[in-house]
Amino acid sequence: MSIILDQVTRHYGGVPVVNDVSLDIGDGEFFVLLGPSGSGKSTLLRAVAGLTAVDHGRIALHGRDVTHVAARKRGVGLVFQNYALFRHMTVADNIEFALRVRGVRARDRRARRQELLRLVALVGLDDRLPAQLSGGQQQRVAVARALAHKPEVLLLDEPFGALDAKIREELRRTIREVQRELGITTVLVTHDQDEAFAMADRIGIMNLGRLLEIGAPHDLYSRPATRFVATFLGAANVFLARSTAQGIQLGAATVLSAGPPADTSEHEVVAVVRPEEVAVAASGAELGALFVAEGVVDELMFSGALERLRVRLENGTAGAPLLAAADGAAAPCLEVTRTQPEQRSFEVHAGQSVAVGVRRVHVLPTPLSSFAACAASAADAEALARQPLLTELAARMKTRIAVRCEPQLGMAQAGPGADAAFVGATVIASEPGAAQRAAWLLGRGAREVLVLPAQAAVPQRVLIHWLDEATRRATLAVSASVLRHVPAEAVYVGILPGESRAAHRPYGLRSLLDARSEAQALHGLEMRTELRFGEVAPELARHLAEAPGQMLIVGVGSLERFAERFGGLLDSGRWPVLIVHRAAG
Amino acid sequence: MSFRRPSVLPGFGLTFGFTTFFLSAIVLLPLAALVLAAGSMHWSEFVAVVSSPRALGSYRLSFGASALAATINVVFGFVLAWTLVRYEFPGRKLIDALIDLPFALPTAVSGIALTTVFAQHGWIGRYLDPLGIKVAYTWLGVTLALTLISMPFAVRALQPALLEVQRDLEDAAETLGATRFYAFRRIILPTVLPSLLTGFTLAFARAVGEYGSVIFIAGNLPMKTEITPLLIVIHLEQFDYRGAAALGVVMLAMSFVVLLAINLLQAWGRRRHVQAAH
Repeated sequence: MSIILDQVTRHYGGVPVVNDVSLDIGDGEFFVLLGPSGSGKSTLLRAVAGLTAVDHGRIALHGRDVTHVAARKRGVGLVFQNYALFRHMTVADNIEFALRVRGVRARDRRARRQELLRLVALVGLDDRLPAQLSGGQQQRVAVARALAHKPEVLLLDEPFGALDAKIREELRRTIREVQRELGITTVLVTHDQDEAFAMADRIGIMNLGRLLEIGAPHDLYSRPATRFVATFLGAANVFLARSTAQGIQLGAATVLSAGPPADTSEHEVVAVVRPEEVAVAASGAELGALFVAEGVVDELMFSGALERLRVRLENGTAGAPLLAAADGAAAPCLEVTRTQPEQRSFEVHAGQSVAVGVRRVHVLPTPLSSFAACAASAADAEALARQPLLTELAARMKTRIAVRCEPQLGMAQAGPGADAAFVGATVIASEPGAAQRAAWLLGRGAREVLVLPAQAAVPQRVLIHWLDEATRRATLAVSASVLRHVPAEAVYVGILPGESRAAHRPYGLRSLLDARSEAQALHGLEMRTELRFGEVAPELARHLAEAPGQMLIVGVGSLERFAERFGGLLDSGRWPVLIVHRAAG
Repeated sequence: MSFRRPSVLPGFGLTFGFTTFFLSAIVLLPLAALVLAAGSMHWSEFVAVVSSPRALGSYRLSFGASALAATINVVFGFVLAWTLVRYEFPGRKLIDALIDLPFALPTAVSGIALTTVFAQHGWIGRYLDPLGIKVAYTWLGVTLALTLISMPFAVRALQPALLEVQRDLEDAAETLGATRFYAFRRIILPTVLPSLLTGFTLAFARAVGEYGSVIFIAGNLPMKTEITPLLIVIHLEQFDYRGAAALGVVMLAMSFVVLLAINLLQAWGRRRHVQAAH
């Protein structure tokens, strides 16, 4: 491995801008860090270069731990967005700078310079000053300068940001060629997905300081694991669909999901349909794809090779079940892109009714699909739906908050209510009786229950614990889903019975390590671990009380004595608690 | 460029005429009068006045102390400007404003204030006195006064230049293997050198012309702590206008030579470094 990052964390003013990033980059790999501005990607790059210190974690370059090594001794080449050329020096002096620092003889310097100028296609411009060159040429000089001392790693910080489209294209090609020729491990930071697709061997996508997903461009595009990646990489139609034993139900279509479903019980999932995987035709029979619903063309835009359509779906037509847009928009709209041949075979105009079908549906593995604020009265449920943490979470996850009124919520005698299944994460207020209500909901099929105090804000730390090993996988998946949208620190809390500490300790430590490695392997989620001794619920409450801004995610298998055990935790109105319930077996 | 070249902005004739008139009326005409007044002297008389031992001593002090003050200001002005540009700290705005204070203060006030502090029994003077360091009424005091009043010129000339030196340049130098000191010497210093020279020039010019603050702290001993402007005033008080004018002409010539030299140096540096700018 060329570059190894292990749990790298960097805070600015208490906020983690780089949050527990672990990453291995292979020899000669071209790795692209992609993310919106403020996602921490540039800070991470500067940390690799040694220009920004890390608060926590380790950085190794070619097997050498450089976490505390000065930038000038790391053997990296860095290229900046604004070139950062030395303006009072000629091109030759700029390129030779690193060699001059190292006391290389003039003749060798000149030879190396000639070689580099040939590499970046600037032969003969040795005596120019940076101000005499175009932007593209200046950046080429910067690349040559960064390579002069034969660094083991080349780092590029938005190198094309200041260039216009055509020059950008050319320079991209040059850099890729140089990189291939030298076989140098390269990390490029960008916010431009086209650039990432064009250049990367692998892409890592960052948001809110976390490295969300890593993969080859094609894999990330066709099989994203998170809503953020699905919508950040290209356009995506995101829907809430139902996963049943038969497959994924999307409108009138039932799509078989690839592989055996992990969970056979019926539940809500988030489905992604790329605009190019949507087909439109005059009628369902002519679609050549699975019919989903009828729709009306809302908007039509010609953009060169592709035509973009916006089709408003008509719900309830032809027996199609409700197809809800994930962001809660009133009527679901589909983005469609069509190639020229497709346009020729079926021409459409705005206002036309069409049959809509899908060719390919991708289901996100995320377990948190949507939220439903639930209370005994409609007014209370409405109020709960406006809770700041809940609205913030829903906005970040680009999902909706439904409002659900359950008059019998928490009542011991099972009434005839609860006819419709509980969909998504059900949210209730943290107040006296909350534990009772949570147990009631979990007992009636709710899979996730979020217990929210009125004042809770976005947490800085998320504690994770599960009561039964059987719920480990689900709890980790839910935790990963939450933590992708919240810049918080994740801590797994293992709790062992208070008595006989010494005897249990090795077992406890092993389970901590298992949990950590599973979180990392399956979800790319980095978490700290802590081992505590005592009763579970009081110990968790004690931990939550230790610092402000903490949230708890707890996995529950059996509901026996649930309300009794967790009453103190859930009724207090102090901490947000997310309960993940999966029945054993 | 020829005068006839059409310009985007109209009114070239008018503005050029105004510029010429303005410069003539308030700069060239009085200077010409000065030269004429001195010119009415006989040559031998002129030489006798301007090369008297007392006059020579005053030139040495005036130009020597001014050069020293300008040098001090360039060095510490750099540090000051660097701190103000690079660091964010509470009170930064206040310090930034304080720098302009010597601009606004009547120079006599600065002189009185400095004398109070550095006189033999002043706040600082009393601690320096046992060490054998006398500031007030020596050339040290003169330099101190000139440093104080010319300080803003150096800082204000350097500040914009340092703003231009982006962090990225240092970062780039560092990743290329340069130490902090190497980066400073090879990257930062050459980049701000023109401004450094400008700062020196402005501070020097200001110091050479200074009168008010110096006369309080200098003690004005002939040959020792007497600056040329003071000598001119002494001539005037004795109604020796021609003698005063003669000394004035010498000062004028010397200042002109020094400023011209620095300007040429700068132009040479610019040609070498930034001739490229389109």
